[in-house]
Formats: sequence, C-alpha cells, structure tokens
Amino acid sequence: MESSSDKRAGEIMYFQMAFRNLRRNGIRSSLAIIGIIIGVMAVASIGIFGANLKATVLSNFQNITNEVLIYPAYSAKLRHGIVTTSGVTYIDKRTAERIVRLPYVKDYAFVCSNFATVKYREGVFGATVYGMDEKSVKKLFSVEKGSIKLSGSCVVGYDLADRLNLRVGSRLEIKGKEFRVAGILKEAGARFDVNPNNAIIISLRDFDKTFNAKGYSFIVVWVRSLNDVQLFKDAVEKTINAKEKKVDVFELKIIISKINETFNFVSRFLMAIAGVSLLVAGVSILNVMLMSTIERTKEIGVMLAIGAYRSTILKLFLLEALILGIIGSVIGALLSLAGGYTVDMLILHSTKYLFSVTTVFYMLEGMFFGLLTTLLSGFYPAWKASRLEPLEALRYE
Amino acid sequence: MYAIELKDVKKVYRVGNEDIYAVNGVSLKVKVGEFLCVMGASGSGKTTLLSLMGCLDKPTSGKVIVEGVDTSELGDRELTKIRRDKIGFVFQQYHLIPTLTAFENVELPMLLKGISKKERERRAMELLKIMGIDKAANRKPSELSGGMQQRVAIARALANNPKILLCDEPTGNLDTKSGEVVMNLIKQQNEKGVTVVLVTHDPDISKYADRVVRIRDGKLIGQESG
Repeated sequence: MESSSDKRAGEIMYFQMAFRNLRRNGIRSSLAIIGIIIGVMAVASIGIFGANLKATVLSNFQNITNEVLIYPAYSAKLRHGIVTTSGVTYIDKRTAERIVRLPYVKDYAFVCSNFATVKYREGVFGATVYGMDEKSVKKLFSVEKGSIKLSGSCVVGYDLADRLNLRVGSRLEIKGKEFRVAGILKEAGARFDVNPNNAIIISLRDFDKTFNAKGYSFIVVWVRSLNDVQLFKDAVEKTINAKEKKVDVFELKIIISKINETFNFVSRFLMAIAGVSLLVAGVSILNVMLMSTIERTKEIGVMLAIGAYRSTILKLFLLEALILGIIGSVIGALLSLAGGYTVDMLILHSTKYLFSVTTVFYMLEGMFFGLLTTLLSGFYPAWKASRLEPLEALRYE
Repeated sequence: MYAIELKDVKKVYRVGNEDIYAVNGVSLKVKVGEFLCVMGASGSGKTTLLSLMGCLDKPTSGKVIVEGVDTSELGDRELTKIRRDKIGFVFQQYHLIPTLTAFENVELPMLLKGISKKERERRAMELLKIMGIDKAANRKPSELSGGMQQRVAIARALANNPKILLCDEPTGNLDTKSGEVVMNLIKQQNEKGVTVVLVTHDPDISKYADRVVRIRDGKLIGQESG
C-alpha cells in the first residue's frame, strides 16, 4: 500500500506541522531553546573542564606511571609512603642486583630506610633516615641550599630543616656517628617512594655502617614504558620469586587509577550540579508545551474529529519537543566548546587538552541529556493533548 | 442498510446535581444518498445529535449504527477510523488548521490515513478545483474569506471519499451569497451520492433537503418530506 518514500513524505509533513507550530510562538519557543542551550552548555562545559583538569593533574604524575617499587615480601609495611623496616625486613644485595639486571629496567635506586633517634645540639628527636647513593638523590630531588654530597655528610628535608633551624654546615649525630649537613632539599610534593621532607638522607655505605644493614629496604625501579610494568612484574615473579616469594612488586599505576576515579567522581558531581540548570530548562519546556496544548485544544479536537489517532497527536507534540531539544542541544554543545575553553583558560591557564576525544564525548553527553530532558518534559503535555475528548476539545473556547 | 441508524439514543450530561438530557430517546434512520435536515433552535440538542452520528461522542444509552456497524461495540481507534474514512465533517466555525495552507488542510485527512503523497496532492487539487478555490491553494486560512474557508473545509471533509457528510450550521457564519455557494456545493455532493445530514436553525436551508426532521428538548417532534 504505502511505500517507504511515501511514509517519509508523511513524516516530513508532520515535521513541518510541528515546526510551524513552534514558529507560531517564536519568542516563547526561542526562550525554551535558550533554556536548553544554557543547560546543555553548563553540563558539557563542566564535563569538559573536569576531564581537562584531570588530564592536567595526571600529567604531573606522568613520571611515576612507569615507576615500580619493590619491597621485601616478609613484612613490607607502607605507611604514608614511609616504609618501616625492622630486623630482617630487607632485600639482600644479591637479590637486589639480580632484580635491577632484569630486562625492561631503565633505571633504579636502592633505598635503605630506618627510623632513628638523632641528636642535634642539646635536643634529641626522631626522624626517618634514608640511605641512598648520590646519583639517585640527585635524580629524585633538588637542593634549596648547599649541595647534594653524601660522603660523610647528609642532606636533610625541607620541613625538618625548618623545624630544627638546621643550616648547611650544621652537625647531626645519628647513632653516635656525626654527619655534617651538606644540603637542604627543596620541599617535595607527595611521593610514594621516598619522602624526604622530614627525613635525613645519608649514603648507602654510611647507612650500612650506622645501622649495620644487610640489604635494602626497597628498590625503586623505572621501566622503559607503561606497558613494560606488567612485563617487568612477570619477569620478577618468574626469576626472583620462582622458588620462594622474596619480594613484592608495587606499581604506582594503581595510584593513577585512584586519581582517575576521584576526579571522575568530582567531575560527575559538578555535572550533576550543572544538571540543575537543565532541570530548570525542562520545566520551562514543560510550561511552554502545556500552554501550547491548552491554546491548541480546539485544533487538537479538529485533528481528532477528522481522524487523527491519539498516538498521532502524541507524536506531533513530542516532535515539537524534540525539535526544541535538538536545536537547543546542538547549539548548547557547540557553545560548550567555548565554555570549556573559557573555564580552562581561567583555571588551568591552558587549553591543550580541550581538543580531544573526551571533549567530543562530553559534548555528546550534554546533547543526550538535553534531548532526554526535552522529551521527558514534553511527554506529559503531549500525553495530555492526546487524551482530550474530541467533542469537548472542539467546543473549547 | 441505512447510512446511519439511531436506536433510542440518549445522551445525558450531569450538571451539578441535575441530569440534562441533551438527546432524549431519538430513533432515526438516514437512507443512503439522502439529504436530511435536522432543524431546531439553539439548545435543542441538534449538535449533540450530529456528534453522536459522527462518532465524536458516545451515547449514554441506545445504539448508533453507521453503515451497518454498531459503533457502541467499537474502541477508540476503530471510532477514529470511522470518522476518518466514512464520515466528513463540516463545522460552522470551519475549524481549519491555521498553520496549514488550504491545500495542506485538504491533504491532512489523507495524511492521517496514510495515502501516498502523489495521490494526496492529486486529490487535494481536484477537490479545491471542484470547490472553485484552487487559486487559493497556497494561502493560509487567515488569508481567506469565511466562504472560502468553508469551501476548503468541505474539500477537507471529502478528502477520503466519505459516504456521509455531517454539516453543523455550515452557513451560520456566512453572508447569504456565500451561504448559497456553500449549500450548492454540498447539494452537488449529495447528487453524486453522498449522504448528507445537516443541522440548522435556518428554515431557508431546509429547501435543499429531501427530508426535514425537527428536534426540541432532545426529542424529534415531527417529520415532513422536503
């Protein structure tokens, strides 16, 4: 009977009717569209900003993503990034040498650590003491004052120096041995391996002598790339841990995924708040469509009288909501790019993450919620219109 | 078979605590091809009667049979189909869709039926020509005179080739001359075989009818042949 092109022609006519009905109250329709534009723009802009903020933060952690920490398997205790070792909890030197000679290892640092009472002038205090070689310390940290020299001397963390008024040249006594402060490190951000802010770093040899250590507390290994992390872990399991479990491998990738999770959560939360504006837009669509339904009661009556199904009336009104939704969502999504740009510039001072797939994703998401809102709020008026009794509707004045 | 048959039809409206009998026990048979005029003053129930015949409204009791089909048994969609395919309505107020052109208004019932675009356009143009308003095809109702709007409305009523045309005071808003044009067009359709039921309070109109029935207080009070 009816070919598909005829059907399409029919749809086009319904579309035209819906479009003309919206044009009849141009200002009202425009205001409803503006509501949707603002809502979609708010949601998508916030989403884009959240993603860019995350990307910026993660980029600060880029250098640790290929970092792997290796602890002795017995009782590695990681508390606030500080490893406490007591007695036998160390990686013996032979094992350590084997580990750092495994493939995938680009660089490494042996670290000893212990908690010790330290004397300075008349006072006694407790501090973490790290044993590391000079090269590794230079790789990880930089000095505020003095220089990084560890033979017979030490470097101290920023907070510790600040707290005890330590200066370059000050003398500390650790377990009866005297160390001269050669340098004060710059304040370091939160780290997951060595936390120097409240610590004293001495050379590995001095550490051995002072604490009588037989091995290392942990090893920091940098693999060549992120993909090598798993390969390296497997290699450790196959070789070092083959007979008995000697070491645990702790990858900092996990931390990245936690950061990811947290930011996604914050981003969702902010988007939900922005979603309130979309809700308001939905209410305004509801209002516009309800008014339109009431004003056009008579017309609906005519349509029903000359043979329109109730479902056709429903479709016509939903189509009107859909048109409002599509126009508002598309414009809103496009403007969200400008919105994202502005917020990025204001807060991140950079827009380098703006033009990415995630941005497109959030634009599409904004559009999706814009359309969903208009359809949901258009549904009640459309349903109401479709339930009118033809005769009563015809007589409506 | 009759075009329309009413069997003891009643329509009661409840206003406050009072039951108002808009139609109170009407039995009526409209023959196929007949031109029936229902005359009555305003408030006599003539429009309600026409609405019942046209399946726009359901009777409180009694039966409305359209072309042999008992409509009291039918659901909403079936009633809609009857209105769409078997009946054409002409209202006093024309009731054209203001956003559509004259041409599109005539197309609309065919669109609702799912007629192909080509056929819709052919038929709409044909009807507008018959009604003598093909030159106004692309004008909106607001740009047409009352007489022209009513002619568009008749064209729309005829779009799906209904066998029955129900007219509610079709000349009520028109001057005498336009009214005559409209009545002649309706009569012309009747002569082509379309059953016409027309309600009016204007005695002059009854001259077009084959038969006139009078209604008062919801009851038929007499029948005479025109």
